[in-house]
Amino acid sequence: MRLRTPLVLAAAAVAAVALVAAGCGGGSESQPAADGGKKAASQVLKMAWGAEPPSLDPGLATDTTSSNVLLNIMDPLVRLGDDLQPVPALAESWDVDGKTVTFHLRADGRWTNGDPVTAHDFEYSWKRTLDPKLAADYAYQLYGIVGAEEYNNAKPAQAAALRDKVGVKALDDRTLQVTLTSAQPWFVQQAAHHSFLPVHQQTVETHGAKWTEPGNIVTNGPFELEGWQHDASITLVKNADWRNADKVALDRVEGRIIVDGTTRVQAFEAGEVDLLDGGGLPPADMPRLKELPEYEKYPALGTYYYGFNLKNIPDENQRRAMAFAIDRQSIIDNVAQADQIPATGMVPKGIPGFEVIEQHFLPTTADLEKAKEFMAKAENPKKTITLFYNDSPGHKEIAVAVQAMWKELGIDTTIKSQEFAQFLEFLGPPPNNAVDVYRLGWIADYGDPMNFLELWTSQSGNNNSNFADPAYDRLIEKARNTPNDQQRYELYRQAEAMLTGPQGALPIAPIYWYTYTNLERESVKDTFHINPLDQFDLSKVVIREA
Amino acid sequence: MAAYIIRRLIWTVPVVLLVILMTFGLMKQIEGNPFRQTERAVPAAVQANLERKFHLDKPWYVQYGNYVKGVATGDLGPSLVLRDRTVNDIVKEQFPNSIELGLLAFGWAVLLGVPAGVLAALKPNSRFDYGAMLFSNIGFALPNFLVATLLIYFVSVKWGLLPTSGWTTWQHKILPSFTLGLVPMAYFARLVRGTMLETLQQDYVRTARAKGLRRRRIVTVHVLRNSLIPVVTAAAPLLGYIITGSFIVENIFAVPGIGRYYVTAVSARDYSVVMGLTVLLSIIVIFANLVVDILYTVLDPRTREART
Repeated sequence: MRLRTPLVLAAAAVAAVALVAAGCGGGSESQPAADGGKKAASQVLKMAWGAEPPSLDPGLATDTTSSNVLLNIMDPLVRLGDDLQPVPALAESWDVDGKTVTFHLRADGRWTNGDPVTAHDFEYSWKRTLDPKLAADYAYQLYGIVGAEEYNNAKPAQAAALRDKVGVKALDDRTLQVTLTSAQPWFVQQAAHHSFLPVHQQTVETHGAKWTEPGNIVTNGPFELEGWQHDASITLVKNADWRNADKVALDRVEGRIIVDGTTRVQAFEAGEVDLLDGGGLPPADMPRLKELPEYEKYPALGTYYYGFNLKNIPDENQRRAMAFAIDRQSIIDNVAQADQIPATGMVPKGIPGFEVIEQHFLPTTADLEKAKEFMAKAENPKKTITLFYNDSPGHKEIAVAVQAMWKELGIDTTIKSQEFAQFLEFLGPPPNNAVDVYRLGWIADYGDPMNFLELWTSQSGNNNSNFADPAYDRLIEKARNTPNDQQRYELYRQAEAMLTGPQGALPIAPIYWYTYTNLERESVKDTFHINPLDQFDLSKVVIREA
Repeated sequence: MAAYIIRRLIWTVPVVLLVILMTFGLMKQIEGNPFRQTERAVPAAVQANLERKFHLDKPWYVQYGNYVKGVATGDLGPSLVLRDRTVNDIVKEQFPNSIELGLLAFGWAVLLGVPAGVLAALKPNSRFDYGAMLFSNIGFALPNFLVATLLIYFVSVKWGLLPTSGWTTWQHKILPSFTLGLVPMAYFARLVRGTMLETLQQDYVRTARAKGLRRRRIVTVHVLRNSLIPVVTAAAPLLGYIITGSFIVENIFAVPGIGRYYVTAVSARDYSVVMGLTVLLSIIVIFANLVVDILYTVLDPRTREART
């Protein structure tokens, strides 16, 4: 029987791992040092990855680790700058004409087997990802393309016909034409996502599911996958034939996979690795780690929020009161502790258009006076409520803090936790009547506020709040078809106002905007950088002399 | 004896079938979607494609039948979460590491635990006895994750003697195997001490002593052999458990074994990995028990007659 005890403890450890994998972050941007120092003789980077990549197939990968390995061994059409605007990569330019986007590929793109990278590779790859037989989880990333959703939804008999109707076409070797269902001005940015990477057709067809193993895999990026010991290590070597290889400093990236957050930090402190992958630091160690010179934080596009069930808490004044009673800054300083930013809206700080969209309504610290005023206005407020969260570490502590804050309004909150997979099913849709308030988070796939605001449309599969407003749906639909950035941001401002503005319905109480926290040896600190979508480009990293 | 072994082997078949059925039933009972690993809702088309691909759209008895057919041909199916790999790949690549870790841990337990128990029993209530039992109580009481964290902190980070984690050189293997071996070590020490003390009180030991046999001969021939029967009983299933891996030890020391998947696969609802590893574990435990029974007959001739 004693052997069972570790299994019980294991549950706690799993939860810890889950938090680390989910990542939780905190506040400012890293500035490249003015004086970078001398380039070191050895350009071998030792780093720790926080997870085993579940798949290195661009069509099948869904997680951050796989995505970052892929973005360093592959050459996307565009990469994102820090302002999240697209920068030419394999595509040297692009034209946008209404719903048609045309990418012009560089002539010197090469697969590691010597074949040229062509527009046909992209056409093949995107259609492959949409193939119902491949059953890609992230096929929906491509649903903005005409005919994509229909093909992905096809019964086997009609699949072949629908495949030809997908709006992606190689006009010649270097011209890729994409036809979209609406203007989607963020499409070019979205093409920086790993789901839009090409695969090498012959390799995929020869090796089947095993094409991603070292030895089989054919890639086209700055690094090649030399070794991949599952759950142990990932070794990347510089691809000397890459189109921009003379600009790449690193010769090798020796990555170890260390899932446990505490061990990862210990491996760093023992000098075994010089860089972590930004997958999060253990919350308990944060106060100490924040003082280290190697500590670094990056703003993330992600929102941690509490959703309200509008059927159970129908009075918007009560929801306002509850949102005002939350001391976001105190939660960050005392509970979450990873330098997050107090969230005053659904759309996170750092996203293009934020300055226009921001509402200036919800407070960053508790405003009990106003909260009580709102509460007094509420008709038949619900004074006994149940708050649900998932049992990953950190969530309970925040729930307990919020429980105490709502007590000030005379609200008795029962908090209940569930295991994550079960929790997601439990919430809905359709929204579960047993839930009054629930915790969730949202991390962006691409850098446009649409990614956050479309969650709250009435048809959204991620809306568990019972908030359904046709006017809101119309705004979002209009924004989808508004290519002009300023005009679209204005529509987003109106949409955000309907959520968290002074007249807003408050289907959510945002708590904080995520931050990525990391440990980086000073020899690489000035050249390593994580962008707000959690992507990093190792081809830019230079190891300096200590 | 041969007939007995064959009979036992045949019996493993229904046992494994039952294990599969029960695991299958339990996995189907818990809520959760293997294709939804984050908060992102899965579009209906994507969900349908995935269910078709992994045959989850078929009735449960068809799924069960297919699975059993697969197991019979040595195919444990694809992982629903690790999309580039099958359960066979995971077992083939990573089970050897778990076996190695388990055997090394078992080695620590036998090499340190058994002698400690023997010496403690020979000098009961001595300083050594108290010391050994105190150590084994502590080893027993401390949870793995605490021992692991403390060892890494002092041995690796503070003193820089051994690497923190990984599974490449022999230096990497010391801390994880010692951590995993600590509980069986403590268990063996206490068990051996107890059974030794009991055996020392037996009439035949007194007779041997009265005959004038030397103490060393009494202990090695008469006492030790008889004291080891309960140890063997405990050891085989214990070995079964520790070679199938420890989630905590593998996770903390970043050992690429399969132990971690017993837990992560359940939370990810990776049905085929859960079932594959459960089948593997049950087969190993069944065989471990069979080996115990055979060892009994070697150690204790009385059990031989009952089984022929």
